[in-house]
This record gives sequence, C-alpha cells and structure tokens, in this order.
Amino acid sequence: MTAAGVVTLLPFIALTLSAVVVMLAGTFHTSHRLTVGLTLGGLAWTLAMLPVTAARGGRQVTELLLLDDYTLFFIGLLVLTTAGVVLLSYGYLERRESHPHDYYTLLLLATLGGATLVASTHFASFFLGLEVLSVSLYTLIAYPRLHADFIEAGVKYLVLAAATAAFLLFGMALVYAELGTMSLNGFALLHVTGGGAADTSLLVGGFVLIIVGIGFKLGVVPFHMWTPDIYQGAPAPVTAFVATVSKGAMVALLLRYFRGVSLNPHDTVWIVFAAIAAASMIAGNLLALLQSNVKRLLAYSSIAHLGYILVAFLAVGRTAAVAVGFYLVAYFVTTLGAFGVVAELSGAERDADRIDDYRGLAARRPLLAATFALVLFSLAGIPLTVGFLGKFYVVNAGARSQLWWLLIVLVATSTIGLYYYTRIVVAMYVEQPQALPSAPRPARLGAIAGSRASDAVLIVVAGLVLFLGIYPAPLIRLLEHVVAGLP
Amino acid sequence: MSAVDWYLTLATGLFCIGAYGVLARRNVILIVMSLELMLNAVNIALVAFADFLPGAAGRGTFFALFIITLAAAEVTVGLAIVVANYRYSRSVQADEFSEMKG
Amino acid sequence: MILIALIAWPFVAGVAAWIAGRRRPHVARWVSVLAMGAGLLALAVVWIVKAPDFALSGHGPFVASVHVAWVPQLGISFFVAADGLSLVMVTLCYALGLLAVLSSWREVTTRVGFFHFMLLWTIAALVGVFTALDLFLFYFLFEMMLVPMFFLIALWGHERRVYAAVKFFLFTQIGGLLMLVAILALYVIHGRQTGVYTFDYLQLLGTHLSMATATWLMLGFFAAFAVKLPAVPLHTWLPDAHTQAPTAGSLVLAGLLIKIGAYGMIRFMVPLFPQAAFRAAPVFMGLAVLGILYGAVLAFAQRDLKRLVAYTSVSHMGFVLLAIFAWNTLALQGAVLEIVCHAFSTGALFAIVGLMQERLHTRDMDKMGGLWLTAPRMGAVALVFALASLGLPSLGNFVAEFLILIGSWRVSEPATVLAAFGLVAATIYSLWLIQRVFQGRETPAVTMPDLTLREGVMLAAMAAPLLWLGVYPQPLFNAVRPGLAALQQRAVRGAPPPSSAVLLPPPTTRAAPTGSDAGAVSMSGDAQ
Repeated sequence: MTAAGVVTLLPFIALTLSAVVVMLAGTFHTSHRLTVGLTLGGLAWTLAMLPVTAARGGRQVTELLLLDDYTLFFIGLLVLTTAGVVLLSYGYLERRESHPHDYYTLLLLATLGGATLVASTHFASFFLGLEVLSVSLYTLIAYPRLHADFIEAGVKYLVLAAATAAFLLFGMALVYAELGTMSLNGFALLHVTGGGAADTSLLVGGFVLIIVGIGFKLGVVPFHMWTPDIYQGAPAPVTAFVATVSKGAMVALLLRYFRGVSLNPHDTVWIVFAAIAAASMIAGNLLALLQSNVKRLLAYSSIAHLGYILVAFLAVGRTAAVAVGFYLVAYFVTTLGAFGVVAELSGAERDADRIDDYRGLAARRPLLAATFALVLFSLAGIPLTVGFLGKFYVVNAGARSQLWWLLIVLVATSTIGLYYYTRIVVAMYVEQPQALPSAPRPARLGAIAGSRASDAVLIVVAGLVLFLGIYPAPLIRLLEHVVAGLP
Repeated sequence: MSAVDWYLTLATGLFCIGAYGVLARRNVILIVMSLELMLNAVNIALVAFADFLPGAAGRGTFFALFIITLAAAEVTVGLAIVVANYRYSRSVQADEFSEMKG
Repeated sequence: MILIALIAWPFVAGVAAWIAGRRRPHVARWVSVLAMGAGLLALAVVWIVKAPDFALSGHGPFVASVHVAWVPQLGISFFVAADGLSLVMVTLCYALGLLAVLSSWREVTTRVGFFHFMLLWTIAALVGVFTALDLFLFYFLFEMMLVPMFFLIALWGHERRVYAAVKFFLFTQIGGLLMLVAILALYVIHGRQTGVYTFDYLQLLGTHLSMATATWLMLGFFAAFAVKLPAVPLHTWLPDAHTQAPTAGSLVLAGLLIKIGAYGMIRFMVPLFPQAAFRAAPVFMGLAVLGILYGAVLAFAQRDLKRLVAYTSVSHMGFVLLAIFAWNTLALQGAVLEIVCHAFSTGALFAIVGLMQERLHTRDMDKMGGLWLTAPRMGAVALVFALASLGLPSLGNFVAEFLILIGSWRVSEPATVLAAFGLVAATIYSLWLIQRVFQGRETPAVTMPDLTLREGVMLAAMAAPLLWLGVYPQPLFNAVRPGLAALQQRAVRGAPPPSSAVLLPPPTTRAAPTGSDAGAVSMSGDAQ
C-alpha cells in the first residue's frame, strides 16, 4: 500500500483510532460524559476526513476496498446515524445508571464494519466487514446484562448470524470455484459475457447462498425470523443501530455487487430477489398487524420496508439506484426517530415497548407524541414527510421498469401498513393516559442531560423528515452524483 | 468425477452436518461447535479450489486464513455470551430461550 | 400569486390558531373565522376583477396560474392554476371552512387550538387540490389532507370515531395509491414517447396510449375518485365517517372532500383517457344509477338521523357521476351546480343534526318527534333544506338535477329514467325525515331550545346561495363554461383517438397565451 492509499483510507483510520481512544480512555477515566464526548469527536473526525478523501477522487485501495463518492456518501450516512445512536444511548444508559465505555467502543467498531461493507469490492472485505459488524453486534445486543431478554436476543442473533455467515461463505466458495476470482471485477466480467456463464448450476447455487447471507442481514423473508426477537430483545438504541446501520450497509453493498451482474427478469437470481421482495412486503405487513409490542411491530414493518427497497433494487437504470439511496436515507431518518422515541420513553426496568405505554402520550408529552406521529406517518408514506417521497421514488423506479405486479403488491401491503401505524397514533392521541413504567421525567442530572441529547436527536430527525419531505431536490442531486460511479 | 468434485462433496457433506447440528441441537455449546464445523467445511472447499483452479493464484487459501481468524473471534464472543447467560439462568439449553414470541 | 396566497393562508392561520388556542380557546376560533373570512373577501375581489375574463372567449380557460420548478430531477413542478371551475371550488372551500368553524363554536371544547389547526390544514390542502395542475402536486395534497381529516374524525367524533376514521383513511389511501401507480405509469409512458419526464398535466394530456393501457390507467384514477365520490360499491366508508365525524368534519367531508372525486374525474380522468372513459361509460353510468337508488333506499332504512343524511349524499353523488359520464355541456354544468348546492344543502342538514345532537344528546329518530312545537325556527330551517335536497323548484338542487337528467337523456335514456326515480325517492325520504322529527307525536320528555342568533345566521347564510342558484344560476354557468368547454374539447365522445397535431400544444408554446387553444395557459398579471 502506498502513502496515497493511506490518505485515501483516512476515514477508516479515523474510525479505528477513535475506537481505540475510547477504549483506552475508558480504562483510565470512567466518566460517561467524557466517553460520549470522545465518541462523538471520533465520529466528527471521521466525517471531516470524508471530504479529504473525496478530493483525491475515487480510488481503489488494494483489491479489497474502493473509496469512491458512493462509498463516502454511505460512510457519511452511517457515521451520522451512529452519532444519533450515541446521543440516544447517552440518555438511555444514564437512566439505567450504567456507565459503559466499551459500549461506545463496540458501536464505533460496528460502524467500522459497516463502512468496510460499503467500500467492499472483494469477498474478503465483504466477509471482514460483515464479521466486524456482527461480532460487535452480538455484544451490543446482549450488552446491558440486566434482563434475560437482552441475553436471549444476543444468543439468538449470534447463532443465526454465524450460521448465515457460513452459508454466505459457502456461496462465495462456489462462486470462486466457477469464476476463479473473488473480486467484484469478476462479477463485471460476468456482465460482459452475458447470461451464458451465469446459468451454470454451481454459480446460481453460489449466488443463492450469498443471498441467504445478505438476506439475513437485511432481515427479509424468509430470513427474517430473528428480526422481531432482536428488535424486542435488544436495548432500544441498539435496535435503532441494527435497523439502520447494519441493514443500510448491506443494502449499499448489495447495490454495488449486483448492479454488476446482469439482472434481467429471466435470471434465477432476479426471480429469487423478486420473490423475496414480494414475500417481505406481504409477510412483514401482515404480521405487523398482529403485534401489540411496539418494537416487534417496528421490526415487522422494517421487514416490509426492506421489501420496498428491493423493489427499487430490481428496477433498472439510474433512477432505480437513486430510489434505493433515497429510500434508504428516508428509512434511516425515520427509523432513528421511531426508536429514539422508544428509547426516550424507556425506563430503568424495561423498554417502553407496549402499545399501552403510548396511550395518551399526546397529553403527557405533546412534542414527543407529535414527533412519533410524524415519524410513523413517514413510515406509512404520507405526504409532507420524507417517507412519502421515498415510496414515491420506489414506485417511480418500479414503473419505469414495468414491475407492475411488485408495485401492486407494494400498494396493497402498504395500505395494511397504514393501519397498524395508525393504531399507535390513535393510542397516543385518542386513548386515555396510563401510568408509565417509570417516572416520567428523570430527576438526576446526567439523566436530564441525556434527555436533552435525545431531544436534540429527535428535533433533528423531525426537521429532516419535514425538510426532505418538502424539498428533496438537493438530496436527489447528491444521490444522482453519487450513483453515477456504479456500473 | 474429478478430484475437485470429491472435495466439494466432502465439504458439502460436512456443511450439511453442521447446519443440521445448528438446527437440531439444544445445547448452545454444541450449536457453536456445529457452526465451527460449517466454517471449516467452507475452508476445505476453498483450499481445494485454490489448489485445483488454474490461475486462481491461491487466493482461496488466503481467504481460508481470514475465515479461521474471524471464526475464532466469533466463537470467543459467542462463548462469552453463553457464559453470561449461564450466570443469569444457570442453563445452556437453547430451549430456555422462549420468552419472546410472536 | 393570489393562488399561492390562497393555499398558504390557511396553513399559516392554522399554525396561528394552534398556538393561540393553547391558552385561550376562544382566540383560536376567532383566528379561524377571520382567516376564512379574509380568504372569502380576497376571493370576492378575485371574482369581481376577473369576472370579465370569463366572458372573453379568446382568453383561454385559466385566469391565474403559477409555475415554479420543485423537484426538477423528476419533472415535478409547483404548478397551480385556476379556471372558473377551480375558482368555484376554492370559493366553496373557504365558504364551507367558515361555516365549519362557526358550527363547531360550541361543539368542540377540547383541544380547541389543535382542532382549528387540523381544520384549516384540511381546507388548505383542499384549496391546493382544486387548483393543482401538476399531477404529483395533486396527489401530494390529495394524500396530505387525509391526516388532518383523520384526526378531525378520530379526536372529536362520536362513539365509534376511531373505527370510522381508520376506515376512511384506509379506503382513501388504497384508492390513492392505485392512482399513484397510474400517474407514474402515465408519466413513464409520456417520458418514453417524448423524452420529457414531467408531471405537468397539460403536457401529459397529449400522451398516446393503446386502448388497453388507457383503460388500466383510467381504472387507477377511477379507483381513487370513486372511493372519494363515493360510487357504490366503494361507498361503505362514507356513512361511518360522516356519522361519526364532528359537525365541522361532516361539513367538510360532505361539502368538499367527496367533491374531489367529481372534480378529479372532470378535470383529470376523462380528459386524460377520453376514449377509455367513454367506452366504460355505460358501466359507470350503471354504477351511478345504482348509487342513486341504493343511497335513497338505504336512507329510508336509517334510524340514525345523521346516517340518513349521509346516505342521501351517496344518492346525490350518483347524479354527479351520471352527469360526468354523460359528458355534455348541460350535464356538466348541472354537475357543477349539484356540487355547489349539495355542499350547502347537505352541509346545512349536517349542521342541523349537529345542533340537535348538542341539545338532545341523541341522533336516534325514534326518540324524536313533534319538535316543531318547541323549536319552530329550527324546524322551518330544516324544512327548507329538506326541500332543497328533494329538488324543489326555485332551489338550486332542482336546477342541477334537472340539467343532469336532460343531459344524460341524450346519452342513455334508460339510465335517465331510472335516475329520475331517485328524485321521487328523495321526495319521500326528505319529507319523511321532517315528519318523523318535527311533526308526528310529541315526545313529552324532550324539550329543545330553539336556534340562537349565531346558528340562525349561519344557516341563513347556507340557504342564501341555494335560493340564488335556484333562481338565477347563470353567473355560475358563465364562470365555469370556458373551463368546461376546454375540457370537453379535449375529450370528445365518439371522436377518433386525438391526433397530437391538433390537441397537443408543443411544450414551448405552452406558456404563451394563444387564442382559444385549450392547452394554453393564460398568464395573467398574477403569474408575474
């Protein structure tokens, strides 16, 4: 690796160093506030490095990583989201009176894993990123060893993630056997030679096994079984992280990898993806109807949302790539907001995840309820919110590629979605208040600061939901620039 | 059947045994062992392909080294969580994990 | 600019009312009244200033328009324009908005500021819907209005309000999403043909479509508008929503929201897909007749006074649907008149039911009777509106339904004959309503205070336009004629598929005021 390569890798170096610094600082000085400050500082530093790298132009660093504008955009997105999660965690952990510095180290490492996935152009970096992300998440999910739920969720995630990672590896081995290469350029070769090579059974089998691995991380049907348990079991800020960073990094990778393969509606791989998309939209929305736990409900709804993203992914052309990116941003913002509200309401004993916890919220905490309602309407795709434009973009991309059946499924199922989102809104606004699981307003100083931090995140989220919902042109321009580099 | 196919068959067989173990075993430690089996099956396949493929330049072998390293990390964390759970519930049975449903 | 002001004004006033209402509920009410009143005054000025324009045949249909790029990457622009038809609808929005605020003066006592916020935002979105000429903008506002309407029903409604609100939300949403798919399909097809991806309605008008494609897309639009209108069998949300909504909500629903269905069909669906629409016209006219009769029959079967009125809406909207698919000048003018008159007559009936519920705490007709004795003024007013609803000559509804029947006679005689039975039925249920509630055996336990001055003025204000339009509807016809004529020019029954050379103005000349070309936008002083 050359000196130029080192400069190009600055964002990665910044993230890694921040993780080390936070870990070391934690051993000497166990102030929660300091740890959070250092973590945010590290993330800001990483963010500041992105333009430096961008100024040098898209660059391949070894065979493994490519840092073009596409990568940098998504790293920026992941880092910003992580910053949001860190702020949410501050208040959340303060209320539980635990001051964990290694929690933040793990968050940074998981972000690093996500960034690696986004930049990956080789199976090795794919696997490396995936494992760095997953292993950090095992611990994060089981982190606050306070409740059996968390550990149970951690073990479940561990077993399933490791098993699907093995499937992914086996798939990679098969593709390697057929193509003799593990880098993305090999995929591009496939594109050039056309469908002929893509049809051997070994290759198709390999791709399908890789899809198992990817599908698991995305939490799409039929690899979705972990999602509701992990969403319910993990601490609310970690759930926000799993729902956004972990899934989003995988979507970015998927877009880069499979844009290279010539996907047309007669390929097995295409049909598999279409079936996954349809099944996710249907099952996610239908199962969400049955939930009385808000975190599980959001889990099933996220399954459906990933299904919508896959519809855009299956469409061809630049619009489709922009649609995926736009929907992803919309999904990040709204999901962060939704779990932010859950985290903000959660008490020391348990998370505020029952619908009953939200009854009459509008009377108790009007602004919080308004934010949650806004975010839910955004998830449901109601105008004035970014979620509407995201869904609009997806349907637009689908219509351009004439994916009528998938669009009809999308339309029908998202109406179902509206129903369960409305249930929460009704609970907040129409039903009578109930006692909250914990004291409504924490009295301790640190907890108050934590609440401030969460409030700040929620204000930013609400602002973004509205701003991007009304004036999306700048974001679209950026995305169009960013996806221009994709094959 | 060429020699590669034998290796592939062996790898597939081991992989399936591992997958079966993950699904059927109740003891978390046995599940982790089955996971190891699956990963090692992949390693066998990779090393075999790397050796037999023309022009593959041994990349598969490097990748196998990657896998060994990361699998070790994974198992370490996994066992740590199992221990944490044991402290909490005095059990390593996966059946106990049934609090969450839906 | 006046159009932007008219759309933005209720948004701003809504926020102001919310903030003001947090401390003093009364301020919120006054803010809303003033906002709506000021809007009406502005509209009156517009009408007087622009009135000559309607008479000018060479002026093109639009008297005001604004065109600003919004999301240029997708060809979305903020394109609003008003012709006579739009202006009538916008005026109706403000007028009914004002009446809705007045009618909820005493009814709404909780979260007053929030209520007015929701109400005014609904009005604002409605104004936008009736002026939008960019299909994206239209859909945007069409969907956006659901949220405040949902809250209006769910928060301030009656016993089963949540059920009704959710049902309303879901029905409208699925129809809307199907329309979204159709809009996007049209957008893509137009983009492929011309290389210009745009949601501009005037450009999309010239898109060439095969019959099958046009039929599918038309059905997408129809799904959205038929739910709104509502056309049988998609009407089931309406009785629930109307019955459970607070009076202001019922007013807005019956007076404005369901009119979007009619407006959308006239403005968008038929002109965009004329051949497909006319081929399907017999089916839709059949649905219209079914709606007229079914609504009337079910109105008989109700004990709930408000539900009865709701079902009469289904019946009346059947007439509008019939007129739209008859698609000739008489029928369309009748349809517009029916839209206006129905808004006032049914709105007034809902207001009266609301007043009675405030006083009696029931809507059950079996518990009423002989109320004329205690509340003669209310009885008299109710009789006026019931007569309007049944189509008494000299009131606007009569003219409207008469025109519709004449218009549709030329297209389908059997449908007209059957629809005429709807008039008979209307006579029966309207008089029966009066008989059961105000006449008949007196229920001794019930005493009801009569109308107050505010209520009397409010109801008189609703009766006035009915009387005016019943006697002298010509100004209204003059106002809407150019717009309707332009639309009719687009969609000619029985004509061969339009050749773009004749009907599609080239995009470059679109903004130039060129003669009577139906596609040309006349940029009046407002645009600059």
